[in-house]
Amino acid sequence: MKYAFFLGCVIPVKYPGFEKATREVMKVLDIELVDLPFSCCPAPTNMKLAHYDTWLALAARNLCLAEEAGLSILAMCNGCINTLKEANLILKEDLQRRNQVNLALEGSGHCFNGTIEVKHLLDVLYKEIGLERIAEKVQHPLDGIRIGCHYGCHLYRPPRLMYPDELSEAASYVPVSMDQILTVLGAQPTQYSRKFLCCGSALGTNIDAQAANEITREKLQHMKKHRIEAVSVACPSCFSQFDRGQMMLERKHHDGFNLPTLYISQLLGLAFGLDRPNLGLGDHRISLQPILERVGRSS
Amino acid sequence: MLKSIWELFNKEDLFECYQCARCTGSCPAAMVMKCYGPRETLLRCLNLGQEAVINDERVWYCTTCHVCEDRCPQEINISELLTAIFNLAAQRGNLPEKIKFGVDLIAKTGRSLIVNEKVLKDRQKLSLPPLDPLNIDEIEGILKKTGLNDAIELS
Repeated sequence: MKYAFFLGCVIPVKYPGFEKATREVMKVLDIELVDLPFSCCPAPTNMKLAHYDTWLALAARNLCLAEEAGLSILAMCNGCINTLKEANLILKEDLQRRNQVNLALEGSGHCFNGTIEVKHLLDVLYKEIGLERIAEKVQHPLDGIRIGCHYGCHLYRPPRLMYPDELSEAASYVPVSMDQILTVLGAQPTQYSRKFLCCGSALGTNIDAQAANEITREKLQHMKKHRIEAVSVACPSCFSQFDRGQMMLERKHHDGFNLPTLYISQLLGLAFGLDRPNLGLGDHRISLQPILERVGRSS
Repeated sequence: MLKSIWELFNKEDLFECYQCARCTGSCPAAMVMKCYGPRETLLRCLNLGQEAVINDERVWYCTTCHVCEDRCPQEINISELLTAIFNLAAQRGNLPEKIKFGVDLIAKTGRSLIVNEKVLKDRQKLSLPPLDPLNIDEIEGILKKTGLNDAIELS
């Protein structure tokens, strides 16, 4: 399997360790990742809110680059997924919008044809690679660590755009992929209240970081109540809330949560027994030591 | 001339709202910000008109988590209404500085974060490929056609 690797902006700039871990884990799973000159997705929390037409056209340019390479997109960030999936769906279905966008792209030599799919890393792992193949690669099971999964809103909301095939007539949709993957890795995914609610990120980056952290605190309190030992995320913005946000909350409230937060690829890498430098563990503010000790990887 | 919000969103859809407040009850921003909620935004759109809404800084408290739409018993596409409101507010000059900064950076570099020497060094340490500058002429050409600069005042 081969994918166009969509890095986005936040991971390659702020959290390159997540990119490192993802590249290494994908090598183990025989997935080839191709780098293309993608721009910002652009983000559903800035460009889309400021100017929808520009948001759609720049997203289309990114989709075109993958189309031209004949590859579907694999993205690591929920913001990128939200933008690229929505744009891809709209432009595939709405011919009027497609024509408008193709007019805007004319001078750049691109033309949207709607020939590829956009997939989050979680879905490639869960649906394309599959739990069985992941299980085969586990060398250091995660010792039943109680992990709280935080999927992040932009991965699956609104489901009518993100997972239209999963929607039945009456029901809404929430993902299960991360819980299933972590179970195969030997961890114990643990349920908690507010699991499917927002981490607070966009309020923090756009308006008021302290208020946004209070949203995160609410989630952290429920995680603690359920004796969760670590948080697993699939988005760099959520990560920032749980890691950096937690550090800021500690200064204000002295809750003593100390909940290590890891990006999903890092947990896969730990279970696969990858070398420490390949796990990209250098960007964490809340110490990972308790988790690394539990899985015998503290040195 | 600013578009009417009802050109961007079907007004009749909002008549389905019976103000149950499930959206505001679920809203993470409403939990921490005073005098904010999707129900209130929706009602103000209908009763006070778009001017009252798009000039109000509080519209930007939204985290764009879409839980309001997810839980709406009347299946109103609230996130589409909110996107229309944000776009009109931005054109009116009601746009948070941090969003303006991000949009400006995308227009100038194609990325929403600055790639400096430290970033490149950190990537090198991890043996990751460099982040080469993007073809900005191509991006500028697209932005000219979509009219970003005409719609929003950037720095």
